[in-house]
Amino acid sequence: MCSVGGPTDIDLPEDRVAAKNYRCKECGERFKGIGKHPMCPSCQSEDVAEI
Amino acid sequence: MNVSLGNDVLMVKGLHSFLLAASVNEAFPLCIESSDQEYCQGVRPGDLVVVSAPGSGPVEPALMLLELVRTYHLPLIVLPKNHPGSKRIPYVVSVGPEIQTNCSIVRGTHPEQHLVCSSDELAGLTLAGTTDGIAIDNLPAAISYEVIKTEKYC
Repeated sequence: MCSVGGPTDIDLPEDRVAAKNYRCKECGERFKGIGKHPMCPSCQSEDVAEI
Repeated sequence: MNVSLGNDVLMVKGLHSFLLAASVNEAFPLCIESSDQEYCQGVRPGDLVVVSAPGSGPVEPALMLLELVRTYHLPLIVLPKNHPGSKRIPYVVSVGPEIQTNCSIVRGTHPEQHLVCSSDELAGLTLAGTTDGIAIDNLPAAISYEVIKTEKYC
Protein backbone atom coordinates (compact mmCIF):
# COMPACT_ATOMS: atom_id res chain seq x y z
CA MET A 1 0.00 0.00 0.00
CA CYS A 2 1.62 3.18 -1.08
CA SER A 3 2.02 6.18 1.16
CA VAL A 4 1.51 4.57 4.46
CA GLY A 5 4.21 5.71 6.78
CA GLY A 6 5.21 8.21 4.19
CA PRO A 7 4.11 11.54 2.83
CA THR A 8 0.68 10.31 3.06
CA ASP A 9 -1.97 12.88 2.39
CA ILE A 10 -3.89 9.73 1.97
CA ASP A 11 -7.50 8.96 1.53
CA LEU A 12 -8.49 5.51 2.68
CA PRO A 13 -12.14 5.20 1.80
CA GLU A 14 -13.44 1.88 3.00
CA ASP A 15 -14.99 1.09 -0.37
CA ARG A 16 -11.54 1.25 -2.00
CA VAL A 17 -9.77 -0.87 0.58
CA ALA A 18 -10.33 -4.53 -0.11
CA ALA A 19 -10.60 -5.36 3.56
CA LYS A 20 -12.57 -8.21 5.04
CA ASN A 21 -13.63 -8.71 8.62
CA TYR A 22 -12.00 -11.61 10.41
CA ARG A 23 -12.11 -13.27 13.80
CA CYS A 24 -9.08 -15.07 15.18
CA LYS A 25 -9.90 -18.64 16.20
CA GLU A 26 -7.02 -18.65 18.66
CA CYS A 27 -7.61 -15.50 20.69
CA GLY A 28 -10.95 -14.16 19.50
CA GLU A 29 -9.55 -10.87 18.17
CA ARG A 30 -11.69 -9.23 15.50
CA PHE A 31 -9.91 -7.25 12.84
CA LYS A 32 -10.03 -5.96 9.29
CA GLY A 33 -7.64 -7.91 7.09
CA ILE A 34 -6.21 -7.10 3.69
CA GLY A 35 -4.22 -9.30 1.36
CA LYS A 36 -4.23 -13.02 0.68
CA HIS A 37 -2.88 -14.18 4.02
CA PRO A 38 -4.81 -12.64 6.89
CA MET A 39 -3.03 -12.85 10.20
CA CYS A 40 -4.24 -11.93 13.66
CA PRO A 41 -2.63 -8.68 14.82
CA SER A 42 -2.80 -9.76 18.46
CA CYS A 43 -1.43 -13.31 18.48
CA GLN A 44 -0.03 -13.66 14.93
CA SER A 45 -2.16 -16.73 14.28
CA GLU A 46 -3.22 -17.45 10.71
CA ASP A 47 -6.09 -19.55 11.99
CA VAL A 48 -8.72 -16.92 11.31
CA ALA A 49 -12.24 -16.99 9.93
CA GLU A 50 -13.97 -14.42 7.79
CA ILE A 51 -17.06 -13.01 9.45
CA MET B 1 17.26 -9.64 -13.73
CA ASN B 2 17.69 -11.31 -10.37
CA VAL B 3 19.63 -9.84 -7.48
CA SER B 4 20.68 -12.10 -4.63
CA LEU B 5 20.20 -10.31 -1.36
CA GLY B 6 19.91 -12.50 1.68
CA ASN B 7 19.20 -10.01 4.45
CA ASP B 8 20.71 -7.09 2.53
CA VAL B 9 18.92 -4.19 0.89
CA LEU B 10 18.62 -3.34 -2.78
CA MET B 11 18.95 0.32 -3.67
CA VAL B 12 17.73 1.46 -7.08
CA LYS B 13 19.08 4.91 -7.88
CA GLY B 14 18.04 7.53 -10.34
CA LEU B 15 19.41 11.04 -10.68
CA HIS B 16 16.77 12.59 -8.47
CA SER B 17 15.19 9.76 -6.52
CA PHE B 18 15.76 6.29 -5.17
CA LEU B 19 14.01 3.34 -3.70
CA LEU B 20 15.04 0.60 -1.31
CA ALA B 21 13.75 -2.96 -1.34
CA ALA B 22 14.40 -5.92 0.91
CA SER B 23 12.96 -9.35 1.61
CA VAL B 24 10.93 -10.12 4.68
CA ASN B 25 12.44 -12.87 6.82
CA GLU B 26 9.51 -13.91 8.95
CA ALA B 27 5.74 -13.83 8.83
CA PHE B 28 4.05 -11.00 10.69
CA PRO B 29 0.88 -8.93 10.64
CA LEU B 30 1.54 -5.44 9.30
CA CYS B 31 -1.04 -3.03 10.66
CA ILE B 32 -1.98 0.12 8.83
CA GLU B 33 -3.62 2.71 11.03
CA SER B 34 -5.89 5.36 9.59
CA SER B 35 -7.73 7.98 11.60
CA ASP B 36 -10.64 5.68 12.31
CA GLN B 37 -9.71 2.18 11.16
CA GLU B 38 -7.02 -0.45 11.46
CA TYR B 39 -6.22 -2.72 8.54
CA CYS B 40 -3.93 -5.70 9.03
CA GLN B 41 -2.00 -7.32 6.22
CA GLY B 42 -0.46 -10.77 6.61
CA VAL B 43 3.14 -10.56 5.43
CA ARG B 44 5.04 -13.71 4.49
CA PRO B 45 8.76 -14.55 4.22
CA GLY B 46 9.94 -13.55 0.77
CA ASP B 47 7.53 -10.65 0.51
CA LEU B 48 9.14 -7.30 -0.15
CA VAL B 49 9.28 -4.10 1.83
CA VAL B 50 9.83 -1.18 -0.52
CA VAL B 51 10.61 2.34 0.62
CA SER B 52 10.42 4.89 -2.16
CA ALA B 53 11.82 8.40 -2.03
CA PRO B 54 10.19 10.05 -5.03
CA GLY B 55 11.81 13.40 -4.23
CA SER B 56 15.12 11.95 -3.09
CA GLY B 57 16.40 12.74 0.43
CA PRO B 58 18.92 10.98 2.64
CA VAL B 59 19.23 7.21 2.40
CA GLU B 60 19.80 6.42 6.07
CA PRO B 61 16.29 7.33 7.28
CA ALA B 62 14.84 5.26 4.47
CA LEU B 63 16.92 2.30 5.66
CA MET B 64 15.66 2.86 9.18
CA LEU B 65 12.09 3.05 7.97
CA LEU B 66 12.55 -0.18 6.04
CA GLU B 67 13.87 -1.96 9.12
CA LEU B 68 11.17 -0.53 11.37
CA VAL B 69 8.72 -2.40 9.17
CA ARG B 70 10.73 -5.49 8.18
CA THR B 71 12.48 -6.25 11.45
CA TYR B 72 10.45 -4.52 14.14
CA HIS B 73 7.02 -4.88 12.52
CA LEU B 74 5.93 -1.41 13.50
CA PRO B 75 2.55 -0.36 12.15
CA LEU B 76 2.27 2.30 9.50
CA ILE B 77 0.28 5.40 10.30
CA VAL B 78 -1.76 7.08 7.61
CA LEU B 79 -2.36 10.79 7.86
CA PRO B 80 -5.71 12.11 6.72
CA LYS B 81 -5.99 13.77 3.35
CA ASN B 82 -4.58 17.32 3.34
CA HIS B 83 -2.91 16.86 6.70
CA PRO B 84 -0.36 19.68 7.19
CA GLY B 85 2.39 17.27 8.18
CA SER B 86 2.26 15.22 5.00
CA LYS B 87 4.71 17.45 3.16
CA ARG B 88 7.40 16.87 5.78
CA ILE B 89 7.64 13.13 5.29
CA PRO B 90 9.62 12.22 2.17
CA TYR B 91 9.18 8.45 2.00
CA VAL B 92 6.43 6.07 1.00
CA VAL B 93 6.19 2.38 1.86
CA SER B 94 4.70 -0.61 0.13
CA VAL B 95 4.73 -4.24 1.25
CA GLY B 96 3.81 -7.33 -0.72
CA PRO B 97 5.08 -10.21 -2.87
CA GLU B 98 5.29 -8.05 -6.00
CA ILE B 99 5.39 -4.28 -6.20
CA GLN B 100 5.24 -1.96 -9.20
CA THR B 101 6.42 1.61 -9.26
CA ASN B 102 4.13 4.19 -10.74
CA CYS B 103 4.54 7.93 -11.18
CA SER B 104 1.07 8.67 -12.52
CA ILE B 105 -0.73 8.06 -9.28
CA VAL B 106 -1.26 10.80 -6.78
CA ARG B 107 1.01 10.16 -3.86
CA GLY B 108 -0.86 8.59 -1.04
CA THR B 109 -4.22 8.30 -2.63
CA HIS B 110 -4.45 4.73 -3.80
CA PRO B 111 -4.93 1.79 -1.53
CA GLU B 112 -3.83 -0.90 -3.97
CA GLN B 113 -1.08 -2.86 -2.29
CA HIS B 114 1.01 -3.68 -5.35
CA LEU B 115 1.77 -0.07 -6.31
CA VAL B 116 4.22 2.36 -4.83
CA CYS B 117 4.61 5.98 -5.82
CA SER B 118 7.84 6.83 -7.54
CA SER B 119 9.45 9.57 -9.56
CA ASP B 120 9.17 9.59 -13.36
CA GLU B 121 12.64 8.13 -13.75
CA LEU B 122 11.89 5.07 -11.61
CA ALA B 123 8.37 4.45 -12.86
CA GLY B 124 7.45 1.17 -14.48
CA LEU B 125 9.69 -1.09 -12.43
CA THR B 126 8.40 -4.39 -11.19
CA LEU B 127 10.02 -5.84 -8.10
CA ALA B 128 9.20 -9.38 -7.04
CA GLY B 129 10.48 -11.50 -4.21
CA THR B 130 12.43 -14.63 -5.17
CA THR B 131 13.87 -17.47 -3.12
CA ASP B 132 17.10 -15.59 -2.49
CA GLY B 133 16.44 -12.00 -3.36
CA ILE B 134 14.58 -9.79 -5.77
CA ALA B 135 13.71 -9.98 -9.45
CA ILE B 136 13.69 -6.60 -11.21
CA ASP B 137 11.86 -6.06 -14.48
CA ASN B 138 11.87 -3.00 -16.72
CA LEU B 139 14.96 -1.40 -15.23
CA PRO B 140 15.89 1.52 -17.53
CA ALA B 141 19.47 1.63 -18.78
CA ALA B 142 20.11 4.96 -17.05
CA ILE B 143 19.12 3.62 -13.67
CA SER B 144 21.70 1.92 -11.49
CA TYR B 145 21.41 -0.29 -8.48
CA GLU B 146 23.56 -1.47 -5.64
CA VAL B 147 23.28 -3.79 -2.69
CA ILE B 148 23.60 -2.20 0.74
CA LYS B 149 25.02 -4.60 3.30
CA THR B 150 22.91 -4.65 6.42
CA GLU B 151 25.94 -5.00 8.70
CA LYS B 152 26.83 -1.44 7.73
CA TYR B 153 23.94 -0.03 9.63
CA CYS B 154 22.53 -2.74 11.88
